[in-house]
Amino acid sequence: MNAPQLPQGLGAARYIGQRVLRKEDPRLLTGRGQFVDDISLPGMLHCAFARSPIARGNIVSIDTSAAKDMPGVHAVYTQADLAHFNAQMLSFFLLPPEVEITPLAGSRVCYVGEPLALVVADSRALAEDAASLIEVEYEELDPVVTLADARAGPPIHPGTSDNVSAEMGDEELDDDLAATLNGAAHLVMHKVVHQRISQAPMECRGVVATRDGNEELTLWITCQSPHMIARWVSLSLGLPQTAIRVIAKDVGGSFGLKNHPWKEEVSVILAALLFGRPLKWIEDRYEALTTSNQCREAEMTLQAAFDAEGHLLASHGDYACNNGANPQGPDNNIAVHMFLWAAYKMPAYAFLTRGYYTNTMGLAAYRGPWALESLIRETLLDKAARKIGIDPVEIRRRNLVTLKDQPSVSSMGIPREDITPAECMEKLLQHFDLAAFRKEQVAARAEGRYLGFGLATYVEPTGSAGSMPVMTGELAQIRIEPTGKVTATMSTHSQGHGTATTMAQIIADRLGVAYEDVTVFEGDSARGGFSPGAAGSRQGVIGGGAAISAADLLAAKVKTIAAHLLNASAETITINGGMVHVAGAPEMSRKLGEIAAIAYGEPDRLPPGCESGLEVQHRYQPPPMTFTSAAHACVVEVDAETGFVKILRWISSEDCGTVINPAVVEGQISGGLAQAIGMVLLEEMPFDARGNPLAATFKDYLLPAISDIPEFEFVHANTPSQALGGMRGVGEGGAIIGPPTLVNAIADALSPFGELPDTLALPLTPTKLLSVIEGRDLTAHSAPAPVVVSADVPASEPAPAAAAPAGEVRVEGAWDMVLKTPMGPQGMVVTFAIVGSAVSGRFDSPEGTQEFSGGTLEEGRVRFDLKVEKPMKITLKYDLQFDGDSVSGKCKMGMFGSAKVSGTRKV
Amino acid sequence: MKPAPFDYVAPTSVEEACKVLAEAGGGATVLAGGQTLMPLLNLRMSQPFVLVDINKIPELSGISRSENGIRIGAATRQCDALSNALLAAELPVLVEALRHVGHHQTRNRGTVGGSITLGEPAAEQPACAVALGASIEIASVRGRRSVAATEFYVGPFMTVLEPDELVTGITFPHWPSGHITLFRELAQRPGDFALVGMVGALALEGGSITRAGLGWFGMGGTPIRARAAEAALLGQALDSVNADAIAELALSECAPFDDHHASAEYRRTVGRRLFAKALREALTVREAA
Amino acid sequence: MSEHRVNLTINGRRHAATVEARMSLGDYLRDEAGYTGVHLGCEHGVCGACTVIVDDRAVRSCLILAVQADGAEVTTAEGLADSDGTLHPVQQVMREEHALQCGFCTPGIVMTLAALTGGQDKADEATLMNSLSGHICRCTGYQGIRRAARRLAAEPGT
Repeated sequence: MNAPQLPQGLGAARYIGQRVLRKEDPRLLTGRGQFVDDISLPGMLHCAFARSPIARGNIVSIDTSAAKDMPGVHAVYTQADLAHFNAQMLSFFLLPPEVEITPLAGSRVCYVGEPLALVVADSRALAEDAASLIEVEYEELDPVVTLADARAGPPIHPGTSDNVSAEMGDEELDDDLAATLNGAAHLVMHKVVHQRISQAPMECRGVVATRDGNEELTLWITCQSPHMIARWVSLSLGLPQTAIRVIAKDVGGSFGLKNHPWKEEVSVILAALLFGRPLKWIEDRYEALTTSNQCREAEMTLQAAFDAEGHLLASHGDYACNNGANPQGPDNNIAVHMFLWAAYKMPAYAFLTRGYYTNTMGLAAYRGPWALESLIRETLLDKAARKIGIDPVEIRRRNLVTLKDQPSVSSMGIPREDITPAECMEKLLQHFDLAAFRKEQVAARAEGRYLGFGLATYVEPTGSAGSMPVMTGELAQIRIEPTGKVTATMSTHSQGHGTATTMAQIIADRLGVAYEDVTVFEGDSARGGFSPGAAGSRQGVIGGGAAISAADLLAAKVKTIAAHLLNASAETITINGGMVHVAGAPEMSRKLGEIAAIAYGEPDRLPPGCESGLEVQHRYQPPPMTFTSAAHACVVEVDAETGFVKILRWISSEDCGTVINPAVVEGQISGGLAQAIGMVLLEEMPFDARGNPLAATFKDYLLPAISDIPEFEFVHANTPSQALGGMRGVGEGGAIIGPPTLVNAIADALSPFGELPDTLALPLTPTKLLSVIEGRDLTAHSAPAPVVVSADVPASEPAPAAAAPAGEVRVEGAWDMVLKTPMGPQGMVVTFAIVGSAVSGRFDSPEGTQEFSGGTLEEGRVRFDLKVEKPMKITLKYDLQFDGDSVSGKCKMGMFGSAKVSGTRKV
Repeated sequence: MKPAPFDYVAPTSVEEACKVLAEAGGGATVLAGGQTLMPLLNLRMSQPFVLVDINKIPELSGISRSENGIRIGAATRQCDALSNALLAAELPVLVEALRHVGHHQTRNRGTVGGSITLGEPAAEQPACAVALGASIEIASVRGRRSVAATEFYVGPFMTVLEPDELVTGITFPHWPSGHITLFRELAQRPGDFALVGMVGALALEGGSITRAGLGWFGMGGTPIRARAAEAALLGQALDSVNADAIAELALSECAPFDDHHASAEYRRTVGRRLFAKALREALTVREAA
Repeated sequence: MSEHRVNLTINGRRHAATVEARMSLGDYLRDEAGYTGVHLGCEHGVCGACTVIVDDRAVRSCLILAVQADGAEVTTAEGLADSDGTLHPVQQVMREEHALQCGFCTPGIVMTLAALTGGQDKADEATLMNSLSGHICRCTGYQGIRRAARRLAAEPGT
């Protein structure tokens, strides 16, 4: 275990870097936490939902009369009652969905468990009694369940031409790329099918909503940021005039699920507005497993070409995810492609990426939502190493970007300045004797024991801010009370992250006070300021920076005041142990509380122009992105008789910059690794052919238990980042790097029996592994139907710039257009001016106006370039085909590939 | 997840309990430890009109020895059975099996009779009852009867128990002191139902097998007794047993199924292996002793 | 639906109430008696968050009816620490070993460990680890929980 490293100038640290006991723990250990279900208000009533038993169909009728007549029932609401609010089910990026999503199902249902009606009753039990009395008549339709169904089946949402929710990249391989791939010494193909996962925080979703008069709405809700909820609810429910207060003191885990409310929470809030009494809805585990947003389900095919020595030459990826019917973001996970090869010397990469709608529960985020990139890359590299005949360490040494290779820019345009996966790997190997293990492995095999070594490296973007609407800086407000006690209000929020501890450590160090004297408040949108909370491994990086800068400003004010009071110069003042000292004059030392009392109560004694009180606030804006790097290794034993996997050892070597609290950092990595082990070996949310979720309890959805998780060893390989304080985010890494580390170890253990199947389908159940060991298919008819590799399928949709239609096309004038971007569809008005075949014009969108010129018109086909500055400098190449009053085509967005454009003439 | 409404009664005698069951006309459900019933109630998969709590009936608790065998009262808690000296001495394999039932916290409440009566095909205790030749005591207002465990189970979670009947106890026949025990279970996590499991006992006289009780769990719609394998073992000397052949025979009586935790073919493949290994190791240990 | 009178002791205090037959002990402890440290994580007996001590044994409060607790002595996480705030040895060791993050599963784990280390026959490490397989923690990867259990098995006098 190394000593924590601090960047230059951060000064002496008494708390930063220490395993300080958490401030949250005494309350949580003694049952005094305050979770949403612990809230009880006078007059509060309870809610339950009636839900769809079918995956796809039209609602013919809903009869709520029996439920309404039941004693103890106060109201039953359907979408007809909620429709006039016109609630918009916004994404995390606050964009509206492109298909109709209503809080309760209106005229149709599109997944099993979709809420249809909400019952308000005296108790939850009574609400459930009444919900079971609601009768619904359906016209049932065949559901679209799998990705294969989605590609071949009818569109599940009215008004769409197919089930593609988002698409980017190019279907045809670029000639040069194809030539490199096909001409390489080694071309390795790899496919991963990732199962659907339930985030499964131990506390299910829940909300208590109370309308206080016409102008106030207070919500207690389990979430990742009360500020984010307040903003989302204001915009989504169209309540700009309402004072919305969101409180979430303790949250029982989230992992991406609780980024923002979804259909149930919105229904309850609207019902509370309608009914006028406080309402509570606490999701039960059956609801949580079957009708909370889920995550991960995706397939990817990756090709990578290597030269004879194993150096990477080029690569192509084809990705598709099953977004379900009502996803929180109908995206195509572009981040998979952006970060796939970011840590490697990869000269050329191209991709095709699609998201699909199906009649299943919609997806939401989960710890490292783009993690498939690390899983497929790292498992492909091991496969390639075996094929080329080199060691897994060696193939990484030959291809990883080292500190010497930086600064540089990845082939996808990602700037690399201080990533250290290669350095993490070398440090890891100092702590793991691979040569000795190989000997042990050979000896064990002779005894019929199959040991395997797995290695993986990765980088992860953390602490993102400034390039997307909700990804902001973080705010710290710190005051020294007149008593000398320090109180901080942070925009951060903990769902187990321990930010009240880590932020207090920083503030105590920077102010020179005892950790015990610092209290951190968060979890209330009425305090502090906006932040998206725990989203994208950001709070340590950005919240930490905010705590440092605000504390430094406050310390400077203390020094100014003390210098004035004590007739010394500010440079001679230090604060230590809650005392203010003057260099060389120990008799002048004063308690911080004394200075504070004067600052508040005796403004006449302050320096001229000095504001009374000791309170500051600072919003820290970090660099746009801070990379975390890591290398992990594990050793497994696979029982060749049963296909059971036992993890014998696991070592993490990570660079997360300055470590504020090693116990918190290791806790984050360990939690992510446990989730990784669950994804590889145990967890799966299967659906039957009718779209019924098959894991409705924890007896069927297998979460890792203590016996499934080994003891993790930590080698901290930290280098300070460029963010203030030098922190790098550490929240998601374990869940990203864990899966390939474990899969590689299993593949290594089973290498005497051959390669894992060409398609790596998670989870690796005993049945699947025994199939490899026995060299025959034991999965029988429980195996999923083979899915056609999409890369091999010719695109069904016509090229956008196909033959021009006959006749004159009028392009001149204004057009309503939609560009499908990675963050969701973006609407704009484009006005064209035509002179001969020369095209110029203007884009108008909520983000602003931009003009362009130099375009060409040829038989209804218009091509032009648009240079944009935000969110980054990029040239957008539009290629549009006009036909009557409609237009369609593509926009090439540099490294992001292509996005679809469609539109109609503005009337 | 709150239960549908029901009435609750807690009779203090078997007669009283049987009367309630009879009067309920099939609308009553017996509550023993509740570790399986309560989840079903909470999920509203079970919606009885009346719940008959048998925890206050003294006759139903306790473990005793008689000429006929070892009797375990139906409402005896699993944790009490686990620490029972009589069971440890006379039916060690049952104790071994009990360690795999649920978790510490559910064993503190769950009962032996509850698990036996439920008939989960992948559970340990029903398989013990079937393999070791136990009989199930049943009471109703119509009288008392006893059913061999092998006749008790008719399908997944289905038994010959009538709606007005109450299981009062399970009697395991005596197995001679020093009998060989076999137990193997493969589950993904501790407390999970078995993917594959087997249990058994072998009695010896003069170095040959004189009595065999062998059973499977998780290998079909009910706990399964491996009668052909038992028959083949009888009379054999320990060193002449072909464990693989016996396992193959035992497997022939199974009908495992696919679910999303394991395939039928997996269960067959590993079951055969597990069975043979358990037998081989038990015989080797005994031979060496 | 029948209603029943129950008398029980919770954390050393006597409680009397009339409960509906269908009310679980967990719901009673939370909603009627006010012990919200009892967390309902699954209501089907797998996750272990609702574990409390009933008559010296750790049990799932979601799988017992309130009416069945008539006459029982119940201890919840609120009832372990001293009135001056001094943590129970299990709570103290869990804090020192960073055995929790979000804290939702925590009260249940505390109760299982307290039940097994509080009496005369203190459980050994294997028994504690085995009992912890009846608890699901989604945050910590069980690292601190395992360390805490090890210390509790090793340390005398808890």
